[in-house]
Amino acid sequence: MNLKMQGIVKSFGANDVLKKVDFTLNEGEICALLGENGAGKSTLMNILGGVLPADQGQILLDGKAVTFLNPAQSLNAGIAFIHQELNLINDLPVYENMFIGRELKKKSGFLDHAAMYGKTKELFEKMGLEIDPGAMVSTLDASFKQIVEISRALMMNASIIIMDEPTTSLTDPEIERVFDMLRMLKQQKVGVVFISHKLREVMEICDRYTVLRDGVMVADGYVKDTSIPEIARHMVGHEVTSERNQRNAALGEEVLRLENLTQEPAFRDVSLKVRAGEILGVTGLLGDGRSELFRTVFGAEGKYSGQIFLQGKPVVITSTRQALGLGIGYLPRNRKENGIIKDMNILENGSIVTLPRMTKFGLIKAKEQIAEFHRQRKNLLIKMENDTDSITSLSGGNQQKVVLAKWLSANPKLLILDNPTQGVDVGAKEEIYQIIQQLAEQGVAVVVLCSEAQEIIRLCDRALVMYHGSVRAEVSGEAMNEHEMMRLATGG
Amino acid sequence: MTQKTNQPTLWQKIQRQWKNNPLFSTALVLVLMIILQTLALGFEFETFGAWFSHWSRNWINILRNNATVGIVALGMCFVIISGGIDLAVGSTLVAVGATLMFFVNSYPTGILTAAGITGVPAFAIGIVLCIAMGCALGGISGFLIAKQKLPAFIATLGMMKICRSVTQQIMQTAAVKVPAEFLKIANTKIGGQVILPIIYWLILAVILHIISKKTPFGRQVYAIGSNERTARLSGINVEKVKALVYVLSGFLVSISAIIQVARIGSMDYANAGSGYEMDAIAAVVVGGTSMSGGKGSVVGTVLGMLIIAVMNNLLNLMGVPPFLREAFKGFIVVVAVLLQKKESNS
Repeated sequence: MNLKMQGIVKSFGANDVLKKVDFTLNEGEICALLGENGAGKSTLMNILGGVLPADQGQILLDGKAVTFLNPAQSLNAGIAFIHQELNLINDLPVYENMFIGRELKKKSGFLDHAAMYGKTKELFEKMGLEIDPGAMVSTLDASFKQIVEISRALMMNASIIIMDEPTTSLTDPEIERVFDMLRMLKQQKVGVVFISHKLREVMEICDRYTVLRDGVMVADGYVKDTSIPEIARHMVGHEVTSERNQRNAALGEEVLRLENLTQEPAFRDVSLKVRAGEILGVTGLLGDGRSELFRTVFGAEGKYSGQIFLQGKPVVITSTRQALGLGIGYLPRNRKENGIIKDMNILENGSIVTLPRMTKFGLIKAKEQIAEFHRQRKNLLIKMENDTDSITSLSGGNQQKVVLAKWLSANPKLLILDNPTQGVDVGAKEEIYQIIQQLAEQGVAVVVLCSEAQEIIRLCDRALVMYHGSVRAEVSGEAMNEHEMMRLATGG
Repeated sequence: MTQKTNQPTLWQKIQRQWKNNPLFSTALVLVLMIILQTLALGFEFETFGAWFSHWSRNWINILRNNATVGIVALGMCFVIISGGIDLAVGSTLVAVGATLMFFVNSYPTGILTAAGITGVPAFAIGIVLCIAMGCALGGISGFLIAKQKLPAFIATLGMMKICRSVTQQIMQTAAVKVPAEFLKIANTKIGGQVILPIIYWLILAVILHIISKKTPFGRQVYAIGSNERTARLSGINVEKVKALVYVLSGFLVSISAIIQVARIGSMDYANAGSGYEMDAIAAVVVGGTSMSGGKGSVVGTVLGMLIIAVMNNLLNLMGVPPFLREAFKGFIVVVAVLLQKKESNS
């Protein structure tokens, strides 16, 4: 089946996410959908998958215009969407998962287990898969779960499969297994949309690519005619120049020192130092333990062994409230789950940390609360209308700044920023970098956790590279470059 | 996109309120109910004065009869906003009511009477211990939920069974008499009417409204209910705030128990307060508070209580058989939540 999406427009409030995007997928083709975070990839695919309606534009399947009001309609048309978080029920066997929602029944109305088992087995045999249809899904590894989801899509006669970052949580052999499956799909004339950040995988498995940037399609073509640097250039928009942090940091006293901090299995024997006015980067790949490490420092992870010193004094941190009291601020990753409180307005999200400090006779001093928030708002250049608007009405970058505001008003001595520019557009990113550097100049010790080498190079004075829970090496100056950090992060 | 720059018409204003202000529809429903109720009450009176006195007497009855549940609902509102639920309120009411009666007992065998303490000092001791008991029982639920991470439903279900059963066992042989002076706490007439329970309810509602809106504790309750993880990562002591919410609920239950004991001078340990948990939850939900936490208000809870109360009164005036009234209560809970869903979708 040939798919054409034409002139797709979608906006959320004032935020134009897709601006007349075209997208094509031919029969039996694997097409990479590429772009930075927030480029509009997920939105485009959500429209195709019937999760979201498009504001404008049309979807053509084999030249025929279709509209999907819900995921079921899209599925009926042969489009299956495999989300990053897999949609399988762990406590049911594989074959029952294959028929969830469309169970085969006997005339009596009871489930026809034999038929479901048989059909699953038949499909697996056809695909050459060695999966026991009767196995519990919970006993399968991540790649086989992925494969079961793909098989389920095939069982439903899907001719287009959308895969959202399918390889993020897979190991290399597992990735190879999923890729074998994709090659098999190709032979069966199934089209695949492959959303990914990993360009090397794209080069390996995809036939075509489409690059989105800020809601516009900026490039498409055949993978064999291009190269990783060229695609990267399209994604970023300008030549990837490793802009380097140029500041001369005036370093003060030591603020944080960790000695042999260990919390199995997440991280072990981590020792490090951060001084006032310094920006320390901590980088690595998925599963390196850096987030767990600093959540522990912030008292959010429970027991640990080893020692934490704050301004030279040993401390045992057991709760986030204690960490706050000790002058530690922590901007978590995954803003939606950990950073914002969606039922509260902008002002409250920006002041929830410091509310207990702004009271008189137990009552919140509203004037002080508003004044403080507005001070931060100006400082952080937060674009917003009313204080009482919902936090979710803001763009990702501005939401992140509000989360930052709640910590800055607490005047932390040590600020831990986990993935501070996640889901933030390029312009706001630069603003956030400048804010962080200003903070360091004011004498705050800053720790930036990030897996993007560009960001570490742009922002940090030096960086620690973590690999599987321990610090692999420290890099600074010329050694703090993308290749070196990638080498260290992959255990090389 | 509609044009927003133009001066909005009244209709647009109403629409915007309907969409953005969850209390608006609740208040609207209440106004509608009151109009119906006023119509049902009839106008066949000689003078306006006669009609008004009849109308207001009816209202005082409504409010007084619902004051004790209304107070319990205020605590339930906090509990539900925090993302929990408190099924133990009705049984806690019996337990703390029994505690109160145990100490204010005017029989010579009463513990304080035997020690020579009677009158106001005995009442004060009884009230303080009753409140302490309420807070402690709430504290146990709070501890189980916040520290031991039990689901609120389970922890308070357990407390619900324990409180009533133990109270019934202990009190089955106790000879208790509430002294007449104690009844003044709820029955002293003001302007010729017994309205003290209503006044207590109103004062508590105002205080709790202020706590919910203007204190860090109040805001933290909302924050925890909306997103516990973010709340924790914002340096909020989630365990403490959660536990305190149940203590607050226990506190309000004891106030309710004091009023109830002072109102009728006795307590039926098997039946008093039974169904309070569901009535309180109904009031909270009808008042626009989300069962999943994070959203809701004290004002809404009072309005919700009034809606249910006025509806009961209306059914009574229209001669609907008592057995059917619960059905209407169920109906209005479902409709109220359906309406709220519509709002959040639009």
